[in-house]
Amino acid sequence: MKHVSNMTELFDRLNELKVVFRYSEKLIPIIQNLMDFMKDTVPLLEDINSSLVESTSKIPKANDQISNISSATELATTEILDIVDAISIDMDKIEKSVNLIKLKEVEKITIWQKIKEKIPSEPSSDELIRQFEALEGFLPFIPGMMEIFQKVKNDVYNITLSLQVQDITSQQLAAVNHLIESVRTSLASLMLHLDDSEIKSFDNFYNDLPKGGTFDPNAEFTRSTERQDAADILISSMNNKTSQDEIDKLFS
Amino acid sequence: MSLKFLVVDDSVTMRRIVINSLRNLSYDNFVEAGDGKEALDKLLADQTINFVITDWNMPNVSGLELVKSIRGNDSLSKLSILMVTTRGVKEDIIEALNAKVNNYIVKPFTPQILKEKIDQIINPT
Repeated sequence: MKHVSNMTELFDRLNELKVVFRYSEKLIPIIQNLMDFMKDTVPLLEDINSSLVESTSKIPKANDQISNISSATELATTEILDIVDAISIDMDKIEKSVNLIKLKEVEKITIWQKIKEKIPSEPSSDELIRQFEALEGFLPFIPGMMEIFQKVKNDVYNITLSLQVQDITSQQLAAVNHLIESVRTSLASLMLHLDDSEIKSFDNFYNDLPKGGTFDPNAEFTRSTERQDAADILISSMNNKTSQDEIDKLFS
Repeated sequence: MSLKFLVVDDSVTMRRIVINSLRNLSYDNFVEAGDGKEALDKLLADQTINFVITDWNMPNVSGLELVKSIRGNDSLSKLSILMVTTRGVKEDIIEALNAKVNNYIVKPFTPQILKEKIDQIINPT
């Protein structure tokens, strides 16, 4: 009896094996497909890895270029400010000289009047006096010159004010550097399973970046007074002069 | 009233522009600082400074921290403070006003605004 039982168990096991084989037959193409897919995917993953390495290696260069732009514009702005200051000083000197000329001209006219009174009237001297007085002095031109001086001085000052753009763009560039830094951090975390020497090589480049809080990512250069007006309304409101609705409308 | 200004900004360009603007308004007494820490040192060393014009975003000690330090120091707390910054969002302005700045200018500023704010501070209505 025991022999029959063993045989039955053997057949049962063989049947189970048969089912497994049949199932395997169905599974083999799927496994084959999976193998094919992996064969295709591995080069793709390698491409992604090498792209990550390449992209990450370019980040310090991009960062340096942005820093160079900031330094170059600051240097150029300083040079412009030096020139503008020199022009302003020269304009002041010219203005003082013109004012002095004006005083001398008035003095000359006063003295001329006295001289004229002492010259005896006769046709030849009268004609010379008439010819001399027909010559215009500097005096009539001085108001026009002063007007031009004032305009040039205002224009020069307006150039100075426009240079505020340098401070604002340098803050915008610092914000871009931080954005690049955050991208680099994300890439570095993706590369953790690669050779970590690729990541370590950038450790020092962090030290040269502007620290957070030293720039305003929302800095903008605009001629509009909208932002100042909104600030003024808010300041008034702090002194209970403006309604909350008015403030919310301005900052929306 | 004779004013002696401390102009605080980490940007050399901005310091020069503010000082040029003050000169244009016929003020001629200035001291400069490149950040809040340097500004505090200068304020403690020179008690004749009575008007501070400060940026917000600066290394070491920010403009806001500088304002809080000034207001928290008995010998400096009465100083006039005008903040000149790119930060124009509502929350920032409220934060600065809560820190007790006397007035607030959003960059880029115009000479008219600078004059108006200085006048408002020295002649409050």
